[in-house]
Amino acid sequence: MTRESPLLPVSDAREAALFFVIGALCFLAALAALTVRGTYVAAAAWGDQIEGEVTVILEDTDMRTAAEVASDIQNLSSVVDARILSRDEIEALLAPSFGPGGLPEGLPVPILIAVQADMSAGDPVPDIERLLRAADLAGDVGAHAGFAGHVRRALSVLRMVGLGAVGLLAATAISVIAFATHAALLARRDIVNVLHLSGAEDRFIAGLFARRFWGLASQAGIGGALAALMVTALIVFSASGRAGVEAELLPRLSLDIWDFLILSSAPVTAGLAARGAARLTVLRALKEMR
Amino acid sequence: MSRVRFDFDDDSAVRMDEVGLNYHDGEDILRDVGLTLPKGSFSFLTGPSGAGKSTLLKLMYLALSPSRGDICLFGRSTRLLKRRDLVTLRRRIGVVFQEFRLLDHLSAFENVALPLRVAGHRLATYQNEVEDLLRWVGLSDRIDARPSELSGGEQQRVAIARALINKPDLLIADEPTGNVDPEMSRKILRLFMELNKRFGTTVFIATHDLALVDEFDRPAYEIHLGRLRGRRRGAAA
Repeated sequence: MTRESPLLPVSDAREAALFFVIGALCFLAALAALTVRGTYVAAAAWGDQIEGEVTVILEDTDMRTAAEVASDIQNLSSVVDARILSRDEIEALLAPSFGPGGLPEGLPVPILIAVQADMSAGDPVPDIERLLRAADLAGDVGAHAGFAGHVRRALSVLRMVGLGAVGLLAATAISVIAFATHAALLARRDIVNVLHLSGAEDRFIAGLFARRFWGLASQAGIGGALAALMVTALIVFSASGRAGVEAELLPRLSLDIWDFLILSSAPVTAGLAARGAARLTVLRALKEMR
Repeated sequence: MSRVRFDFDDDSAVRMDEVGLNYHDGEDILRDVGLTLPKGSFSFLTGPSGAGKSTLLKLMYLALSPSRGDICLFGRSTRLLKRRDLVTLRRRIGVVFQEFRLLDHLSAFENVALPLRVAGHRLATYQNEVEDLLRWVGLSDRIDARPSELSGGEQQRVAIARALINKPDLLIADEPTGNVDPEMSRKILRLFMELNKRFGTTVFIATHDLALVDEFDRPAYEIHLGRLRGRRRGAAA
């Protein structure tokens, strides 16, 4: 039999409850943070995509001329891709207005050229307008950049709200962890008392409990963070089969350094909160004991 | 680890000067207690339940601060001591608590070794000492048992061994014979006397067992309604 068991009991039912509380709070906080981060990434990508899109609407012309214009646009240095949208694609775009039944027969539909531009190489709109004038074609060039500005502003408001919610959740989690640690420690006052009267220094006793609760909270935090990662991955990957606008708007799990920082901050923060609360509670109890 | 000793000319282990203690509501628990325990003395404290015996001992082993007066331990006033010095003083005091206060998750050996362990001593330096002490209190075959596996008397003896392991200069025992039979009570008292003789440890024992007090014929104090006075041999408390 060992002659140097840990000075604090290895397991305790009260600490199991604390473990669960901390794990659940870390799960919620990490899940919220990952969702906000995923939304942030998706919104940034969506904004970039909208900003680089230009739609050219051609009227009173035939498909051959339109194809020539599309080819000329494609040759512009700031253009990545230019292609004529098929009738099916146009119907899909207009579906929110006309319903799933398709466009009414006989409805004149303009020819649309979807242009994907590289805005870092310059704005292609003036060049496209010059091409249309040179070809003597009636048409309209619709840059989405102006629209993207509104979208970006709306997204930044949403982002701030998301960050605020995560901050509030994190603050709540820290408070609850500190309170739960304090409550769990009050039940351990007998051990504090015996160690104190056995001649242990205050910092020795406080250190014992601080290390104990740091370990417990960080382990619970790791469990909560991993569960949040799994749930986020499940949601994102189960939705990854969707196409179109829905897929664009879904949060993205990039699993880059930021995601791992968010995940690792949950157990570290929980551990620090529990450690600090344990230390303060023990020192306060010792001060009352003389 | 070296012990810090204080410079003192005072020849007392404990000196209480007009010590009083009252609760927050103002009710007096102890009044004008004056007591001097010379170094190397062996004495008893008697009194009915609720008279304030345990409270007086708590003041002595620094678990409570007096509301009035001063307590000097080993020649040094405890009134303005820093916490660090309190720890140093506390390590010179062995306490046998009435309710034992053993840690349930530790074995008898580990409970006895606790004061040495928290003071930073290593297992190798105290292993034999702890085993010898457990043998001395008659628990050589219960070394690895946990408190829940021990009888009340055995737990009492573990608590006594824990109080003695530091070779304290002052041993304070609160009803150390309260949970044992008369034979074991005498054995424990003889053990304390041996400690007192062999190491010069000052021993102060609170007990309600007046027969035992009379049998051992040592100075005794009586506490009644919060006041302390000397007790004559054979007098009822």
